[in-house]
Amino acid sequence: MLKVENLTKVYPNGTVALRDVSFEVADGEFLAVIGLSGSGKSTLLRCINRLIEPTAGRIIWNDIELTALSQAEMRKVRRQMGMVFQQFNLVKRSSVLTNVLSGRLGYVPAYHSLFNYFSPADYERAFKNLERLGLREKAYVRADSLSGGQQQRVGIARALMQEPKLILADEPVASLDPVLSHSILKYLEQMNKEDKITVLCSLHFLDLVHRYATRAIGLKDGRLVFQGLPHEIDDVQFKTIFGQDAERVTIL
Amino acid sequence: MNPSSSDSKNALLAVLVSLLIPGAGQFYLGKRERGGVIFGTLVVLAFLIQWALATYKIGLTTFEQLSTSWLWGVWMLFWGWNVLDAYRLSRQQFPLTWLGVLLSAVIIYFIGWQVTDINLSRLVTRFNDAQTVFRALLQPDLFEQDALTGEWRPSENFGTIIGKIADQPAPSWMVNLGLVTKDTRIPTPILGKLAETIAIGLMATLFSTLFAVPLSFLAARNIMARLPGGVIIYYVMRTILNVVRSIDTIIWGVIVVVWVGLGSFAGVLALTIHSVAALGKLYSEEIEHIDPGPIEAITATGANLLQVIRYAVIPQIVPPFLAYTLLRWDINMRMATVVGFVAGGGIGFFVLETIRKGGYEQYAAALWAVAVVIIVVDYLSARWRERILVGETKVTTGPPQPFYRSPRSLVYALLVVALFVSSWHLAQIDFGKMLEPAPTFWRLVGDFITIDLNPDVLEVVFRQMITTVFQALLATTLGGLVAVPFSFLAARNLMGGNPLSLAIYYVMRGMLNVLRSIEALLYVAIFVFWVGIGPFAGMLALAITTFALIGKLFSEAIENIDPGPVEAIAATGANRLQQIVYAILPQIIPPFISYLIYQWDINVRISTIVGFAGGGGIGLLLNTYFGKLQYHKAGTVVAVIVLVVTLMDFASAKIRERLV
Repeated sequence: MLKVENLTKVYPNGTVALRDVSFEVADGEFLAVIGLSGSGKSTLLRCINRLIEPTAGRIIWNDIELTALSQAEMRKVRRQMGMVFQQFNLVKRSSVLTNVLSGRLGYVPAYHSLFNYFSPADYERAFKNLERLGLREKAYVRADSLSGGQQQRVGIARALMQEPKLILADEPVASLDPVLSHSILKYLEQMNKEDKITVLCSLHFLDLVHRYATRAIGLKDGRLVFQGLPHEIDDVQFKTIFGQDAERVTIL
Repeated sequence: MNPSSSDSKNALLAVLVSLLIPGAGQFYLGKRERGGVIFGTLVVLAFLIQWALATYKIGLTTFEQLSTSWLWGVWMLFWGWNVLDAYRLSRQQFPLTWLGVLLSAVIIYFIGWQVTDINLSRLVTRFNDAQTVFRALLQPDLFEQDALTGEWRPSENFGTIIGKIADQPAPSWMVNLGLVTKDTRIPTPILGKLAETIAIGLMATLFSTLFAVPLSFLAARNIMARLPGGVIIYYVMRTILNVVRSIDTIIWGVIVVVWVGLGSFAGVLALTIHSVAALGKLYSEEIEHIDPGPIEAITATGANLLQVIRYAVIPQIVPPFLAYTLLRWDINMRMATVVGFVAGGGIGFFVLETIRKGGYEQYAAALWAVAVVIIVVDYLSARWRERILVGETKVTTGPPQPFYRSPRSLVYALLVVALFVSSWHLAQIDFGKMLEPAPTFWRLVGDFITIDLNPDVLEVVFRQMITTVFQALLATTLGGLVAVPFSFLAARNLMGGNPLSLAIYYVMRGMLNVLRSIEALLYVAIFVFWVGIGPFAGMLALAITTFALIGKLFSEAIENIDPGPVEAIAATGANRLQQIVYAILPQIIPPFISYLIYQWDINVRISTIVGFAGGGGIGLLLNTYFGKLQYHKAGTVVAVIVLVVTLMDFASAKIRERLV
């Protein structure tokens, strides 16, 4: 159970990215975070694993107050939270295998990493995850020689290596075409339903929200303006979240 | 815009204000930078005119009973132009910037001409004497004919420079193995000064890379900001690197000699110190420019700082680091050819001695040998850098083989080890010497820190520094101007048309490469012979290297132009010359000016040291002070050099930013 209470983030240059945001996420949910660009979706996700430090508010996960932890303690918690990025964020010149293995770093002692040592169990896990995402033959290939969809799958495999309880997906399909978007989200859905991993996923397109999410929250200018089930987003709600000028767009 | 009454009020006000305070009118009209530059220029010019008059009597004219400099007249014309400029700006008319630039150029170049002691007549009167040197250049002492048999064989000089096989007592390991008896002499290859030079360059590159890598992390803002107190360490590290970098290798050489004595090791040390700072800066800038995405991703898995660096930072920086090391190797090889001048060892020292003895044929042989080595190093460095940065696309289906499995890699590894061991030996690396500095060394350190701020000393130092800056300016102008036409002849896209022009292209390229491979310090000796010791010789030597470098850079800029506009102009029926003027020139003028400013920056650094070979300027002053063990004053000189070079760096970077 993830509880976000009165979360506020003000950047040093004065931009207020999040204003007093509060909501709850039950275990096993697929929560969609929707809103315009700049509404605070990325900031919100990054505050949860404290890649960005909140200015005010609390985040409580499984009865641990994350915002009160030290950096070292937070690192241990981060191990259980996988993250998938819009720009994939792979190490381009490293092989796919190394990229996937690096998901295990939170569990590996520092001196192992100096020598690029991962246990045989880690290697097994990595190949299993690559297999699951259909990338087994690409294990030794340089990451930047893969297509966009393949690179995002490597990103997901990396997150899976952490055996996470929660996955934060920051616009994972925004850089992909409609067919690929569905294929990636199907993987996330599989992990949500089969591995019982809670997913927080920010999305642009309502069709994807309707199809994959179990609940949705909407942000506008850093404020929470909607909380509920995807099918509850009618035209009025739509304009509240996205603004008066918005029009619905369907993708496949 | 229609002129209205408020416009004419604007014009009048702007004119009046600029008349009183130059640049103020432009400032008032909203062109703040222009106003500031105009004001600053007038102040600097005023200072220069007065200084030139007082120190060298430059521009002296007597008018009835008043003696002053006629340059003040030009200066007042500039002031007048500034008023005109303010008027034209207020009227939104096309500014006559060229006129202002011309007026200030007249003042600057007139003063510069006198200060660097340019004396064209000497070029002519001593030309015949100079011909001995030129003839020697074309007849290097490398081979000689046996008087009796008429056979050609390598000369003594060849042996000194490149190497020879001589009968030497057998090495101890052979005797111990029982292969030979103790007193036999066997032919052993003895490597010459050139090999020593190559060893110095290699060792310096190796050491500087080793030290620069950790230091660069300390000077990278994005890494340091994550550690407590890191930002302070960052600033300190950055400052140290900048200061060390602005002191030329040759000057480090003079200092290091007091520490470990004359010899190849001093050369290696001096080169290493300077290279660590240069590489550290380049490396740290690469670290600061990496993609933050992978760092974010690896941090999100729960990894600690060390793991983040190992898995997200290092893979991104290894290719550019390798490329910079190769670039530094190139530069270090060049510097290794001259560092011996002051530090001993290598071909630099050899050259110093041959000049003293007047052996210009031997000197010429050394120059040719250097040219060959540097051209090879240039080529290798460029080839390998391209391979690293462009990257190779290999199809890999299996795990990468560790290097000890492939026979080819093993051979390479053995070669590298052999190279390392022999270079270590040739460069006479002896870390023990660092622990036993000469007694004067501690005095040097102390005196350097408490520099001499006596006004007399400062006056002399500033005078020489200004001379040095003018030397650099004139050399850049001369070299740059002459390079322009030649650069067109060395541009492939212009000269590829027919076999004749292609031949010219190859000749030009070759000439530029050969001229470029020899450091300015080595040219100074030739010009000293021709026009005598002094800033004129130094300026001419710098002009040659500028010509060669700028020629190459310019020709590359021409080769990189967009062919589209050229095609368009050609399609209108224009001839080659018109194509050049209308399609090529407008594309190349910004990079040309940018390169000229970049070269001026470099030339200021080099001109601080041409004095060590008789090229005048501040190098001569430094050499004198070191020779008399007056370390206080030497410290002042070095401090002033650091100051001026840092200012020039900053100014040139800012100006080039605005251009591009």
